[in-house]
Formats: sequence, structure tokens, C-alpha cells
Amino acid sequence: MGLARPAAAPDDAPPPGRDAPGAARRRGGTTLKSPQNVEVYIVDDTFILRWNRSNPSIRNVTFSAYYQTLGNDTWLKLPGCQSVANTTCDFSSLKLNVYDKVKLRIRAEEGNNTSPWHNIDSFTLFEKAQIGPPKVHLEAEDKTIIINISLPGARDSVMWALDSSSFTYSLDIWKNSSSGERRTETVYSRDKIYNLSPETTYCLKVKARLLPRKNGIYSPVYCIKTPVANKLPPPENIRLDSKNNIFVLRWDYPYGSVKWGHARPNVTFQAQWLYAYLKKIPGDSSGKWKQIPGCKNVHTTQCVFLQNTFRKGIYLIRVQASDGNTTSVWSKEEKFDAQLQITLLPPVITMKSTNDVSLRVYISAPEESENKPVNQNFPLIYEIVFWENTSNAERKIREKKTDFTFSKLKPLTEYCVKARALIEDDKWNKSSGFSDTVCEKTKPGNTSRTWLIAGICAAIFSIPVVIYVVKLLLRCISYVFFPSSKPPSTIDEYFSEPPLWNLLLLTSEEQTERCFIIENTNTISAVEETNQTDEDHKKYSSQTSQDSGNYSNEDESGGSKFSEELLQQESE
Amino acid sequence: MSTKPDVIRKCLWPACLVGLLITGVLSLDCNLLHFHLRKVTWQNLRLLSSMSNSFPVECLREIKAFELPQEILSHTQPVKRYIVEAFYEMSIQAFNIFSQYTFKSTWENDYLKQIQIGLDQQLQYAERCLEEEEKEEDDSKEMEEDGINHSEATVPQLSNLELRRYFNRIDNFLKEKKYSHCAWEIIRVEIRRCFYYYFQKFAPLLRKK
Repeated sequence: MGLARPAAAPDDAPPPGRDAPGAARRRGGTTLKSPQNVEVYIVDDTFILRWNRSNPSIRNVTFSAYYQTLGNDTWLKLPGCQSVANTTCDFSSLKLNVYDKVKLRIRAEEGNNTSPWHNIDSFTLFEKAQIGPPKVHLEAEDKTIIINISLPGARDSVMWALDSSSFTYSLDIWKNSSSGERRTETVYSRDKIYNLSPETTYCLKVKARLLPRKNGIYSPVYCIKTPVANKLPPPENIRLDSKNNIFVLRWDYPYGSVKWGHARPNVTFQAQWLYAYLKKIPGDSSGKWKQIPGCKNVHTTQCVFLQNTFRKGIYLIRVQASDGNTTSVWSKEEKFDAQLQITLLPPVITMKSTNDVSLRVYISAPEESENKPVNQNFPLIYEIVFWENTSNAERKIREKKTDFTFSKLKPLTEYCVKARALIEDDKWNKSSGFSDTVCEKTKPGNTSRTWLIAGICAAIFSIPVVIYVVKLLLRCISYVFFPSSKPPSTIDEYFSEPPLWNLLLLTSEEQTERCFIIENTNTISAVEETNQTDEDHKKYSSQTSQDSGNYSNEDESGGSKFSEELLQQESE
Repeated sequence: MSTKPDVIRKCLWPACLVGLLITGVLSLDCNLLHFHLRKVTWQNLRLLSSMSNSFPVECLREIKAFELPQEILSHTQPVKRYIVEAFYEMSIQAFNIFSQYTFKSTWENDYLKQIQIGLDQQLQYAERCLEEEEKEEDDSKEMEEDGINHSEATVPQLSNLELRRYFNRIDNFLKEKKYSHCAWEIIRVEIRRCFYYYFQKFAPLLRKK
């Protein structure tokens, strides 16, 4: 254990018998040891420090404790814990913020002799605090016990100053006669315990809780005897259903000559509501109950009111029976959350048969009207019932998807389907009504869809191949039946000799040339002759020369030609 | 007397906001609640939009630093449960602050009711979440008893303590100022800040599985 150093600040409150603090000191042969098992014990606003003596043999030993708050070096006297002869002291008068960290130290003292300090690690009063046993007031009424629990701690509790509305209470109740059969309930500070037997003694104990994990100490056991049951019992089993824009509040009243839905003529009922949060706030909320419109003096075991009476929020509802002279006690208060009282509308389904003997089902949300709760705000699952029209064998599946396929069906058979929406959470157990039944015939099964796709794919891929094959074929055909005019290469070689080609070409030229030559010899002299004739003839001759078209070949021949013509004309 | 409803109106809306933000976070833990709370959130937002107010200038000099705890979770990888607990704490503290004054009949107006209703709903949902997780925790504890150490299990309830210190400062401030108009205005802004801060901080952590 670390030895406490002398107080850091000079104005530190000096411990009595000012000695240099330090190790255990010997005075007259005795060693004073620091106290052991030092413990801070806090219940509500009572702060207790307790410890064990280390030197039981030494008399006149007293104990003194000091405290230090965080960020403050001085050790201050712990009020109520100075020179205490006992092994416990009460420092409830210490005014500290219960959420601030505090350090404690304590030592034994005997005259001028002091023990070393025993230090306690820093803590907050709130951390150490336990919730004390609540005070409970009980009253029995008909088959119920009315409990009234007062807040833990003093009236202006410092410890629970922030928690006036935070406490919940856990209650254990049992019949006094049998020690078995215990029932645990969570109750508000003002609440009732229902469904008890008349003329029976019940015992109970209560503890307070602070969520998340502060559990209080149980109260002492309280017992109370329930009276003789009233002649007029309260309604039971109150439940609320929602339909479209209305709430239907129902209850059971199985006493008297009650026909279905109608109690005996002279019994009437009334229903009231209260905001549930008012129960959280300590104090009496019994005057704040309000009449539910449309649920006053009803003769039936149900009443109907508009949903917009209760908007968002959590409510409590209670019902009471009356037969003119007497009234029953109020029924059990039923809690309901307007938000959760949603109406699920049946979904809308459409079904299509696909080519591969399958049926595709689409689920869509119903069209919502203005005031209706919206289905798609919730994580819905759909329960789909599917059957062959001619048989009764049903297939039931649950799906989150809104689009799925029933496959491997019989071809050309009619199948039917209906569906309903469910809320995922089984705690809320909500479901819509079933949708309309939709029936659809499957298609004949020979044209399977996959085959079709495969076929198309194959076709697409084979197009280039086919084109290529056709091309090749065409080439072969044209090779066989319409060979090219080009001679075989062997022949080609012969033809490639230039003299031969020239020969072919020149033959005609030579012929003309020959003709030309022959003509030439005749005309030369003639031209010379005509040149000397007058100019008119020249013009004329040039005109005719165009028609002949051959004059350009050679000046000589052209000249010869038209001179020849000239000759002919002159001869005419 | 005439100013009080106005004050309430102004004070309420942070609580609404508080509720809204909490719900967003808490709902992630309890799947279905998420959807209900979204709806509440929307309704509340609409309610709030009819109450928007600017901060009055005359209250500026009374502003106090409430020292919003920046790190309320000591662990680097906070467990969802502790986040939910922290939000439960915030929401119950806000509820406490706003319901302390319902005893005065003049404070009973529609807005105050709406806030309390909203907070009550969130508390109930949060309680449910916590209870569910408690059950899960119990189950997993049984499985872990073979010796596998669960490091997160040692995270203390420090978060709540820090938050309590913070709300204690707020509570004391209100008492000091005798619940004056300006005190409420300041608290309104402060609580809104608080919830906005934690919402931003924890919402992404909660989304991670």
C-alpha cells in the first residue's frame, strides 16, 4: 500500500495528533495498523463508510476519514467520519456532485499514534449508489391490487435528481398460501395487478430499476388480502383492431346472459384512454383519463371510433361495465401503439405464363388512399398460396421478393395463386387479408425458352460461317461451269512472245497501210495538181475531209484522200 | 403567463429533434422499429417545421458552455449495445427535463404533449431493443463461457456517467436560472447540438454489422 504523503497544501486540515505521517509507528510497543476492508456503501442519499479494525486488542482507537475531489489537492475532513469509535460512519451530509470523482482515505488513531492511510480509489457517488427499497402502498379492489410506489430516496433526492421519470419497477407477487407460483411483472409507480383470485392473501415485493443496468434492492414483503369479488366484474381481454380508417375496440364480457356481441340489456360499457407517457411521470394520473368518443354507454362488447382519434403515440385503454346501479372496476389497462396499429392491405397480384411451363408472379402494393397506412413502409413478407386449379393440393411459400417464378409445372394446366402480406416480426403478428385469386394456364411445354435462346445464339454465331461456306461453294461452281476466259498458263507462255502479238495487231495496220500505200502513189501527183486550182475548191475539200475521219492518221494519206475526192468531184 | 407557452414551444422542439435523431439510430438495432420510427420522425419533423424559431439576441450573454462529452465511449470499436444505451440515456434525460414541468398547468400545451409522446415512444422502443439485446447477450454469454474472452464486455458504463454529468449541468443551469425563458432557449440549442453530434458520430458505426 502506498504511504500517504503529508498534505500537499500548507492549509491542509491537519489530522488530529499531528505526527509526521508515514509508516506504522511504534508507541509503547504497539503498532497501529490502517483499517481493512474499507468500503463505501451508498443507498439512495445515504452514504456510509465501513471498515474492519486491524488491531482489535487496542482500545480507544478511533478512525478519521478525509476526502479529495478531482483537481483539488487538499484533503478535507469527511463530515461525520472524524474520530469515530465505531467501524462505520455516515457521511450523507457531504454536499458533492454525485457524478464527480472523489477519493477517500482513512486511518486509525489512538492518541498521538496514527496508522498509515488506507486509500480508496477514486469513484463517483452515483456509481456506488444502490437504489434503495421502494416504499409500497397497497390497496385491494375486487380482483386487483392497486400499488402505489414512492420514488426511491428522499423527497428532494440528490442522487436521483435526474431520474424522476426513469425508474421502472419489478414486482414479484405470489399467493401467501403456496410458496411456488411466483409472478414477476414490470409496473409503473402507480399501477394495478390484475387477474387475482378473490379472498386470497397475496404477498409481493418490489425493486426499482434504472435501465440499462442498475438494479435496486427489494422492498420488504407486503401482503394484502383481496376482497370478495364484485357482482359486476370488469370486462376482459381488451383488444384493438384496425380496419381501414377505424379502430374497433373489443372486449369479452362472459357474465350474465350475454349473447354474442350483446351483453344483457341493462349492462353498458364505457372505454377511456390515457397517454402512456403520463404513467412514467410520478404522480397521480388517474384524473387524466379521457372518454373515447363513441365508446360511452355502449350495449355491445365492442365500439368503433375513427383512427384519427389516436394519432401517433402510445396509449392506454380501459373499459368499465355498468348496470345502472353499480359499476365494475376498470378492466386491465391495455397498452397500444397507434403507430403499430397499422392496417395491412392485401397485395395485388398478377401472373403471367412464360414459355417454359412456368408461371411468373408479380406482387405489388395496393394503391393507398389518403389516410390508410402505407404497406411499403414495413419490411413485409408475402405468403403465397399456389395450387393447381383442379386439385386441392396447395403449395405455401413465404417470400420477401415481389417477383418470382413457379417453374417445372405441367404444360397447359391452370394454376391459381393468392397472397397476403405479413409483417416480418413475429412479435407484431400482423397480416393482411388474402388478395384476389388469380388463375393462369401454362403454355405448351415444347418450346422451351432456353432452347429458343440457344437457337438464336447459335443462329447468330453461324451466320458468318454460312456466308463463308456459300462463298466457297459459289467459287467452286463458277470454276467448274464457267471457267475463266484466261488461258492456262502454259498457253500463256507462248502468247507472251511479243512478235506474235505484234503480228496479230500489225496485220490490220499493214493492210490499211498497204491500201494507203497503193492510194498514195496515185494521189501525189493529183494533189499537186489540185493545189493549184482556186480557193473555193480548197474549202469544200476541207469540209468533206471531216467525214472521212481518217485523215489524221497521216498527213500524207489525209492529203491524198481529199485530193482523191477532189478528183472524183472534178470528174463529175 | 403569456410568454410561457411560447417558451415551451421553443423548448420543445429540441426534444423533438432529440427524439428524431435517436430514433434514427436506435431503429437500426431493431429492424422493424426502424420503419415506425422513420414515420414518427417524419411526423415530428413536420411538427417542428411549424415551430422553427431563431435564437433570441437578449439571451446571448447568458450562454454557458455545457461541455458536451466528446468521447462517451472509451472503446475504439464501440459495441452497438453501448451506443443504444447512450441514446437511451439521452432520451430519458431529455424526457425527464421536459416532463418535470408538466405539473404546472400552464405548461400543458399541445407541443409539450407531442414531444413527450414522441420521447415516450422512443424510450419504449429503446427499452425493447435493450431487452432484446440483453437476451442475446445472455445467450452468447453461455456460449462464450468456454473461455473465449469477450473484450467488449469490459466496457464500463462510463458513457452514461459522462452523459449524466452533462445533463446534470443542464439541469443545474435550469434550476439556477429558475427555468427562465433564456435558460430554456439555451438548453434548446444545447440539446439539439448534443443529439446532432452523437447522431452524426454513431449512426455510421451502427450501420456497420
